Amino acid sequence: MNLNVLICDDSSFARKQMARALPPEWSVDVHFASDGVEGVEAIRGGKGDVVFLDLTMPNLDGYGVLEAIRKDDLPAMVIVVSGDIQPDAQERVKSLGAMAFIKKPIDADKARTVLSKYGIMTGA
Amino acid sequence: MTTSLASLSEDQRDCYQELTNVAKGQAADRLARLLNAYVILPIPKISMIENSDLNMAIQGAHADSRVSAVCQGFIGSGIAGEAMLLFNDTSFASLASLMKYKGPLNKQSELELLMDTASVLIGACIHGIGEQLEINFNQGHPVVLGQHCDVEELLKQGQNSWNKTLAIEIHYTIEHVNIECELLLLFTENSVRTLNKKIDYLLD
Repeated sequence: MNLNVLICDDSSFARKQMARALPPEWSVDVHFASDGVEGVEAIRGGKGDVVFLDLTMPNLDGYGVLEAIRKDDLPAMVIVVSGDIQPDAQERVKSLGAMAFIKKPIDADKARTVLSKYGIMTGA
Repeated sequence: MTTSLASLSEDQRDCYQELTNVAKGQAADRLARLLNAYVILPIPKISMIENSDLNMAIQGAHADSRVSAVCQGFIGSGIAGEAMLLFNDTSFASLASLMKYKGPLNKQSELELLMDTASVLIGACIHGIGEQLEINFNQGHPVVLGQHCDVEELLKQGQNSWNKTLAIEIHYTIEHVNIECELLLLFTENSVRTLNKKIDYLLD
């Protein structure tokens, strides 16, 4: 069965950019969420084995999603993809359980580097 | 003669907003490292704005406060615009202390603080937007529009020869201290067409 990848970002342009950056040979099912509430729902529904998560979003932001994942021990590997690249933001998401932090704008090289570094995509 | 510009489509607005988010984040990171503080980043406002609305928007945001402001032109690949940084005058004391500025705070030292902050925020933001659009913007010299003035006085100086243009408003505040400023990016009417083409290409 394919891995479920969730892209959670309020910008449709950013979601598209993220989807394009995924390695083409990586056979996964890609799902989308446009805010944190939708994101948590999708993760509960088993659509987020791997989550690419934006931080600044309406309704529930990325920090809120990380808290929800931790609180309910949801099975998701989270890679934060954010435009807020301040040292504080990076530390805060790591302490909330995010696996990695990618600085926006995302591109194929950055995605591949993280996926292989953390062994999420074997052979990447 | 200039024909009036249509409004932005939802996709175009979203794309401008995302490009700005990234650039604004890079600028905030530079400022955060300079001040050793956390910069709060609200979502930027993107709008096609009429000349008269712009004055209203700026005045609305700073109605009761005295401000100091710097502007700086930028140009590249057929796109030209003006960045304007408005600083709430109440911000200077906190800014001076975060920058570990010693000595009395007078018009001259405030000017230095204003110029330092402006060069970080404007430079990083313009560079960040340009980089994503593959445009190499050249920046003009920063010009002080005024220190400790009413916004109204400040805006009177403008030439205001345009009708409608693209405005990007970015509000920066620093966590736990009283520092507030507003960065406004305005593009010339003719640039917006070129910019929109670049945006449409990214959206394709």
